[in-house]
Amino acid sequence: MDTLAVAAPVYPFRFTGRTGDYFRIWIVSLCLSILTLGVYSAWGKVRKKRYLYAHTQLADCAFEFPARPLAILKGRAIAVLLFGGFAATGHFLPAVQWLFIALLLVLTPWIVVAANRFNAQNSAYRNIRFGFTGRIGEAAKIFLGFGVLSILSIGLVYPYYRLRRARFVVGHHRFGATGFVEALYGGDFYAAYILAGLMMFGAAIAAIVGGIVFAFVASVFGGAGAPGRAVVYVPAALMYGVYLLAFSYLRARVGNLTLNGARIGSLQLSSTLRARDLFWLYFSNILAIIASLGLATPWATLRMARYRAQRLVLIAHQALEGLAASPADRASATGSEVSDLFDVDVSL
Amino acid sequence: MSAESLRFDGRFRDGVNAREVPVGIERDGEDLVITAGEKVLRVALATVVADAPLPGVARLLALPDGGQIETDDREAAAALFPPRNRIDAAAFWLESRWPAALAAIPVIAGVTWLFVAQLLPLAADPVARMISPRIELAIGRQALSALDRIVLKPTELDPDTQEQIERRFRQFLEGEPGEENYELVFRAGAVGPNAFALPGGFIVVTDDLVRLAENEGELMAVLAHEVGHVRGRHALRLVLQNSGVVVLVTALAGDAVSMTLLAAALPTALLQSHYSRQFETQADEYAFAHLRRHGYSPQAFADMMRRLQRADAQAAGDAGVVRYFSTHPLTQERIERAEAQR
Repeated sequence: MDTLAVAAPVYPFRFTGRTGDYFRIWIVSLCLSILTLGVYSAWGKVRKKRYLYAHTQLADCAFEFPARPLAILKGRAIAVLLFGGFAATGHFLPAVQWLFIALLLVLTPWIVVAANRFNAQNSAYRNIRFGFTGRIGEAAKIFLGFGVLSILSIGLVYPYYRLRRARFVVGHHRFGATGFVEALYGGDFYAAYILAGLMMFGAAIAAIVGGIVFAFVASVFGGAGAPGRAVVYVPAALMYGVYLLAFSYLRARVGNLTLNGARIGSLQLSSTLRARDLFWLYFSNILAIIASLGLATPWATLRMARYRAQRLVLIAHQALEGLAASPADRASATGSEVSDLFDVDVSL
Repeated sequence: MSAESLRFDGRFRDGVNAREVPVGIERDGEDLVITAGEKVLRVALATVVADAPLPGVARLLALPDGGQIETDDREAAAALFPPRNRIDAAAFWLESRWPAALAAIPVIAGVTWLFVAQLLPLAADPVARMISPRIELAIGRQALSALDRIVLKPTELDPDTQEQIERRFRQFLEGEPGEENYELVFRAGAVGPNAFALPGGFIVVTDDLVRLAENEGELMAVLAHEVGHVRGRHALRLVLQNSGVVVLVTALAGDAVSMTLLAAALPTALLQSHYSRQFETQADEYAFAHLRRHGYSPQAFADMMRRLQRADAQAAGDAGVVRYFSTHPLTQERIERAEAQR
């Protein structure tokens, strides 16, 4: 009969993209990008992302990526100049390279804010746009201040730095007029990064011991030349394996923490990514991409999108229909193209 | 059914709240009539902005007041709203056809080959000329210290042997333009019997190579070949070509630019990629001519190549496939050319 705790409706995310369709969009984008010396890549990126968004569905409604390619083209031009300068000076004028590193550092807070703003403004659900309200000053404090501090502290502050980053990004997003509220905690982040660090440390020791044992066994039973190579390859393969495992673990754990720590009004996400699933996906995707000379890339992308959607649900303590747009968004949606001039996508 | 009397279904979202209403849409002359139950909305067709079509994606129609209609009836939407610009029209045309998409594969492969194998080597030569020797030296130093960190180890040759080889090498260089810029570097490490030229005149010789050479002539033959590479500034041109490849890969991969990847590319590329056929021939020809002038026979070059080939085959027997790609297919041809020079 009547219970006090009424279960809130749970809306699963669904990914409905088809490999054939996405493959064609992807390969046409790649081909035209090459033929136009990279100019088309901005259009290609919009078309690929639009496809992925349009097939990510929540409560039978798709997401939308209404970005203008020109904004992306501008961002690409800036990135090419910066990284081209960085790479060229690295090869030819190592002393001047420090100038570029300094320039990149100074620009980092702006890049972070601009990239988040661009992505948020160009993400919409049911014709309501997301937004990002983070300030460059606060980004500078976190990305430069805590970033430098985490280096100086030989990594001790690093999990806290990642926490502050996640808080900054999550806490300053909004869906329409409803701001996100973050509920992220340092303890969780420290636990995740310490475990990942232990994995890497354990792997390094296991690799050394394993290499020695393997070399010994090989030298007893095998030919003369083989153990020399085994000493190099076996521990290297082991290290890569554990590195991928630690990476998958962090992706799953920190990804879940970040998504689950976001409150949008009375809405809440529940992400249940698992490290072993991600490990298998990354591993098999890498193998497939290498074996197919890159042609399996779109298949790999969709596989990952499908998995992430499978493991994500929205718990809605209020009706989705009640969420309102921000009046500012409504003005700019119908507004001029002028905003295009200041609109830059610099996501790296 | 003509475009004038088109009727299709869609979902209307007002853009004020996150709600959605199923609607019927009908074209009436120059207007679009949107019906939801009793309510009727009439907007001028010219004020409706449709998004660019994508294969397998519902169309979105933006209404002038901020509202939006999504429709799964892509045919009806295509009839009413053709792509607004040529880029989107061309992309959609190509993306909708399997033959076009599959034709893109050989085009991508062909253009990549043209760029990497033809255009880059052509462009690398004039660019290499613009780079001052001082900068080339800095690049070489950086490459050497990177190799030292990754694969090379300090030499275990005794100082007397080193000095003797150094002296012979200096004699060989006498009269060579810029002879003072050459630097012979002895190293050990997991690269087997090997010698290679870095930008800036560094010639690296491994202990294994020195031990493999039966006599001084054979060792000088290898060094002469490397001097040929330095003279042609082949290492620098190769670095430039590899940078071009990195730029290409970055442009293709697009979003993920990894600086560590870029930094790791240089030393490994220097080790792994064999010089192009043209570079090898040039260096060989220089070596043949100058060996004779210094009283060594080009036969020593052929002998050394045979020895290296055997050492390589032995290594291949040990590790099978791993060595397969690094076996030089042109070795036999080069041995024959050297023997023709006697």
